[in-house]
Amino acid sequence: MGPPANPLAPGNLPMVNRARAATTVESATEQRPDHALMLAVRGGELDALGELFERHHGRLFGFLVKLTGDRTAAEDISQIVFQRMLKYRHTYRDDGSFTAWMYHLARRCAADHFRRASAAPHAIDPSALHDHADDAPHAAHHATTRDDHALLHAALARLDHGDREVLLLSRFQELSFAEVAGILECSVGAAKVRAHRAMHALRDIYFNLQSTRTGQGKIP
Amino acid sequence: MNCQRVRQIFPELLDSRTSATQVPSGSTGTIEEARAHLASCPDCQREFARLSQTMQALDTLPIAPPSGRLRRDFYAMLEEEKHSAESVRAAAERQYRVRRAAMWRWVLSPLAACALVAAGFFAGRKVTPMAPAPATSSPDAVALQQQIKQLQDQVSNMGTLVSYSLLQQQQRPANDRLRGVMSSATLENPSDRAINDLISAVAFDSSPNVRLRALEALYPHAEQDVVRAGVLASLGREQNPLVQVSMIDFLAAANDVEARPALEKISVSVASDENVRNAARRALTQF
Repeated sequence: MGPPANPLAPGNLPMVNRARAATTVESATEQRPDHALMLAVRGGELDALGELFERHHGRLFGFLVKLTGDRTAAEDISQIVFQRMLKYRHTYRDDGSFTAWMYHLARRCAADHFRRASAAPHAIDPSALHDHADDAPHAAHHATTRDDHALLHAALARLDHGDREVLLLSRFQELSFAEVAGILECSVGAAKVRAHRAMHALRDIYFNLQSTRTGQGKIP
Repeated sequence: MNCQRVRQIFPELLDSRTSATQVPSGSTGTIEEARAHLASCPDCQREFARLSQTMQALDTLPIAPPSGRLRRDFYAMLEEEKHSAESVRAAAERQYRVRRAAMWRWVLSPLAACALVAAGFFAGRKVTPMAPAPATSSPDAVALQQQIKQLQDQVSNMGTLVSYSLLQQQQRPANDRLRGVMSSATLENPSDRAINDLISAVAFDSSPNVRLRALEALYPHAEQDVVRAGVLASLGREQNPLVQVSMIDFLAAANDVEARPALEKISVSVASDENVRNAARRALTQF
């Protein structure tokens, strides 16, 4: 039996590979900045959005996973974000920052997602995200690391949605606080205060969970 | 600075975007003061370590990459959008705009060039200082004025004659024109008309041989201002390096200091032939 069919094989998706090949050739010759690429998209050069997708979809997806605690929802929202970039490309400003615009759209899309959901975003049970440590030799370290990640996911899920949002945005070092404030539609000072408050809140939740795990051997 | 205030500044300390001396918002202390306090306060050090550890864990929290579905769906959507009616229309409009812009460039470029020339002409007329009033007080000055006037008349006549002669000469074969030049050269006291013929031959004859022979014929009359001026003016439009070198030698032999600026320019011009540049440099040393 041969290997499983690759869904991204050239025969299956010529259009995908054409766009990616063009992107690769272009990046080999000239690395256009995000802003220039988005202006090109606005001007009708839609293939430029492929380059932007390749550059940013991973980080955008990570942001949305941390924000929603749900990988499937994060994929759906990422897709919607790029869909809206296409749909509203004419609204992209000459003096705009692509990254700030992308996270602005992502925040709106995530808000729509939460609104559509019947209940508030549920906290992820760490045990559902990762398996518990097995009894295999030398697995203790890996198990501890996995548990730390699960604890952090749990701490993020327990954080207020607004705090989680501002905290995640403020941790992107490529965004200035002015841009974060623009995304959140508040003043720079307010954005900083909210980010700092969220940092302290996450730290408290995280260490409470750690002390609970140490004391009871189980995450509540 | 007390512990509470310092702990308010902890997030600033963990933010690489904060400069070393920036005063954080909502706090009265500076980063430097907070660092100094932190270095000497074990409680704050413990709190700072916990916050730092939390943020580091958050920043390095691994997120597995999205499934292939995201990429597949994205490119499918992109392809669909490219073929949508609106996108096709937008692409067509973009092409039309590009073509129209190119067409406007073709139209506007010559117009802009003309406008620039006209603007330069009028600006030149405005900024060119008026000719100083003639000094009529001294007899020498009056004589000088008369000489200049005569010279101007001669140059003016020369222009007319040159045009006339040019028309005449260019219609004849080169041999005939050469013979005409040689006959003018043999005259012991050539008339102004003959001198003008020679100058016009130097300036306008299409044959380098005729120009060289005419230049040679002008050597005995190099003391005349009009001759030197004619050769100097001809040098500016001469393209043949051989004739250019001969003209430069002529001006050097005539010790025409009026030619110095033109020779200096030629001596450094990369567009000129190397032999011409060398001749110009040599001539400059002779002045």
